[in-house]
Amino acid sequence: MANVQGMAEATGAGWRDRLFSAGARCALPVYVLLAAGFLAPLVTVVAFSFATPRSFDAFRSFTLANYAAIFDPANTVWLSFAWSIALAATAVLILLLVAYPIAYGLARVFGRWAGLISLLFVFPLFVSENIRLYGWVLFFIRGGVLDGTLGYVGLSAPDVLYTVGATLFGMVYVYLPFMLFPMTLGLSTVPRDLIEAARDMGASRLQIWREIELPLAMPGVLIGVLLCFVLSVGAVAEAKILGGQSIIVITHDIEIAFTYAQNWPLGSALAVLLMLVVGGLTLAVIGRIDLDRILGRR
Amino acid sequence: MSADALGPAERAQRRSDRLIWTWTLVVVLAIYLPILCGLLASLSQGRYFRFPVPRWSADWWTRTLESIEIRLLVQTSLKMAIAVTLIAVVVAFFGALAYARYDWKGRGVFQKLVLLPIFFPQPVMGLALLLWFSALGIQLSWQTAVFAHLVWIVPVVTLVMAIQMYGFDPALEEAAFDLGASRLQVFREITLPILWPGIWSGALFAFLLSWGNFPLSLYTTGPDTAVPEWLYAKMVAGYTPMVPALGSMSTIAAALLLLVAGLALRLRRRRVSP
Amino acid sequence: MTRPEPALALAAADAMAREPILRLSGIAKRFGTVAAVDGVDLVVPEGEFLTIVGPSGCGKTTLLRILAGLEQPGDGAIVLRGQVINDLPPNRRPTCLVFQSLALFPHKTVGENIAFPLKMKGVSPAACETRSRELMRMMRLPDAYFTRNVTRCSGGERQRVALARAFAYDPDVLFFDEPLSALDYKLKKLLEKELKDIHKETGKTFIYITHSLEEAMVMSDRIAVMRSGRIVQVGTPEEIYTSPANRFVAEFMGEVNVLAVRRRPDGLYAADETLGPFRVAGAAPSEGYIVVRPEFLRIVGDGAEAENVIAGKLYNSYSLGSRMQYRVRAGDRLLIVEQSRAAAATPQIDSDVVVGWDSRDALFIDD
Repeated sequence: MANVQGMAEATGAGWRDRLFSAGARCALPVYVLLAAGFLAPLVTVVAFSFATPRSFDAFRSFTLANYAAIFDPANTVWLSFAWSIALAATAVLILLLVAYPIAYGLARVFGRWAGLISLLFVFPLFVSENIRLYGWVLFFIRGGVLDGTLGYVGLSAPDVLYTVGATLFGMVYVYLPFMLFPMTLGLSTVPRDLIEAARDMGASRLQIWREIELPLAMPGVLIGVLLCFVLSVGAVAEAKILGGQSIIVITHDIEIAFTYAQNWPLGSALAVLLMLVVGGLTLAVIGRIDLDRILGRR
Repeated sequence: MSADALGPAERAQRRSDRLIWTWTLVVVLAIYLPILCGLLASLSQGRYFRFPVPRWSADWWTRTLESIEIRLLVQTSLKMAIAVTLIAVVVAFFGALAYARYDWKGRGVFQKLVLLPIFFPQPVMGLALLLWFSALGIQLSWQTAVFAHLVWIVPVVTLVMAIQMYGFDPALEEAAFDLGASRLQVFREITLPILWPGIWSGALFAFLLSWGNFPLSLYTTGPDTAVPEWLYAKMVAGYTPMVPALGSMSTIAAALLLLVAGLALRLRRRRVSP
Repeated sequence: MTRPEPALALAAADAMAREPILRLSGIAKRFGTVAAVDGVDLVVPEGEFLTIVGPSGCGKTTLLRILAGLEQPGDGAIVLRGQVINDLPPNRRPTCLVFQSLALFPHKTVGENIAFPLKMKGVSPAACETRSRELMRMMRLPDAYFTRNVTRCSGGERQRVALARAFAYDPDVLFFDEPLSALDYKLKKLLEKELKDIHKETGKTFIYITHSLEEAMVMSDRIAVMRSGRIVQVGTPEEIYTSPANRFVAEFMGEVNVLAVRRRPDGLYAADETLGPFRVAGAAPSEGYIVVRPEFLRIVGDGAEAENVIAGKLYNSYSLGSRMQYRVRAGDRLLIVEQSRAAAATPQIDSDVVVGWDSRDALFIDD
């Protein structure tokens, strides 16, 4: 770690350098951007959530009417919330199973192919998700690729599009890289000689996995789980494109409130609840993890 | 030791390795399957997609390339991506220095705060920014979308660059300093050239992530339209094979860019070590 | 490069006669509550090869970095050629530090690395090249390496490039931070000698730090032993070896036999148990330690005799090439004896042996 403080002292830098160290000054642009682009909008959303319903006077009125409306059992908007959370949790579980063997492969099995295979998994992130999801529509739709291929053997494709299942499938598909890469990072921090030593002391494969690999890889796995959950719970493209509005997810409800219904306060209240879930989980997990060790600082 | 002499442990290992390889390849195929379907749909002559494709034709591709509307879209997306890249690379470079190189008091907090925009669903962020711009009375345009992109992309690029910087040996800067270089010379001769590959990857990430971004663009471009937005609108109503055509072109362009950048990096590495 | 004056034979007395090039007084540095350097005074004559030796964590690296200017001392003054240089930044001090990792610039060739200090001074590219090639010749690097990237050089070659680069800066004092510690034995031995030769040829002042006693003994004109941030003893290798100032230095210099003894009324010394009595040469305090080096302890009996003897059982024997080392158990002590192979027949393990030494070959240390 560069002792830039030492170097700064060495060049006879003045009190200003000591007060705002080089690190703090480098962090400033990022902080300004996040304050203006992340913090400020979210604060505005919180303010709007307390505004009079259907109005635009945030910061000037204060009422809990919006939250009351959400928690009113007659209102079905909590159903969207429940669906979003249920879908996200299920997607994360499926992703754990799907991604783990691949992450294991990248960390241990693929050897010199690992780089290329990582690239194959990274690349889809650069293709916007609506293009990719629409490809699945073309695959599953009546007359589409699946239907046509099965037509060769006289079968016809099942009707999977525009269902909850399709939405779930879409989420698993889109968020796979976000589970895969943190997991791989976590697994690759397990030193090989620990495993060999354990095997030397008589541990079976299962025991090694349970006692050594899993605990050491856990920070990476946790980050993957967290990331996929928070991204899925706020996702909307999958529900719209593949789910065809068979269910309305919470972000869709927020969008409707902001656009068609022109009810910013209600949308904001919904958004705040979502942010509480997302923010709470994130801060809880990230607060406990040593980022330097995971990202590879020596 | 011949294959016949493998013990039961090794055989089990080989079996599980093979399973892992198979599973991975299956998943890779599944990942690229929809992209392939899009390609097929763009090459079908008929307006509506049917499989097997009754008649192949490159008509829609030509029409997409000639369409003025699409040219405008591409220009908008390109403008945004370039602006995002230029700004993100500078801001993230310093952010990465603060993240991985310098030891300062707030570093731990900084490392975690920078991650927050990444651990946040983009559609919600887009909607929040929409609200905020409207509350401030700022007109939506491709510029506001650039700002929105930056909020998400700068943290990502910061991480990408920070990961590269972790491997930087601080003794190199100290040695250069000790050998008579001024601080500016240290930066120009040592720090920047060694960190250059990280900057290059960061720029690439910034460009591609902006080019392909859908949720943030959707809510913050206002009257301007980026490529992903147009594609979505047409998917919902008014489908033509120009949609998968443009989608496939966009994908191929991204792939080519990655390829070129990767080759450039490899060539540079070879030039530096003869 | 102007032909330097040949280095002069440096006995300690001679060294002190000349004006010292470097004078440290009261150098101290704290990190939090820990005093890494705790009051160091040192005077270094020009052209000397001084090694600072000490265990890990004794503060030697911190001290070196302070001298190089990469850390600021909390207290004390560094005087170079009569000028206080505390406030001079490293890039303006006429000193150069060779790092433990060598810190060769991986993106530059051998030639570019060596020419770096010249380039920073603004020397023309042509002159840079000439001087680089000159230095490469001096360091016995093949001329063809000029355009080779440093990452493709072997360990020994990289050492030479790092040295050449330091000399290109033309410093008054060169600092070395354990540069040989990562090398294998053969290469290390070779480079130790080369380093010593280069020192003689160029006449520059070298300040070297290491935790390896062997390196220090081979290369240095003087050794400074450091412990817990302080310098415990300074002297020629010979002095440190034969007259260590205290137990720490004695034990640091190698395996020794240490016996805690107390003076008896009859003038002889005895250890707490039934070992002794022993004769001690010269006047000595009433309490202290007898320190006997393994090579002065020998197996007695069958014609061999010694002034002081201890009876024990042979625990184990080790072959050190031309010498044999024996470990003898006496009570709960393990004594170490070293003698040449030819000296006596090897006794059986577990057999009774008597070892002894002459009082004039032993040291008496009271700390």
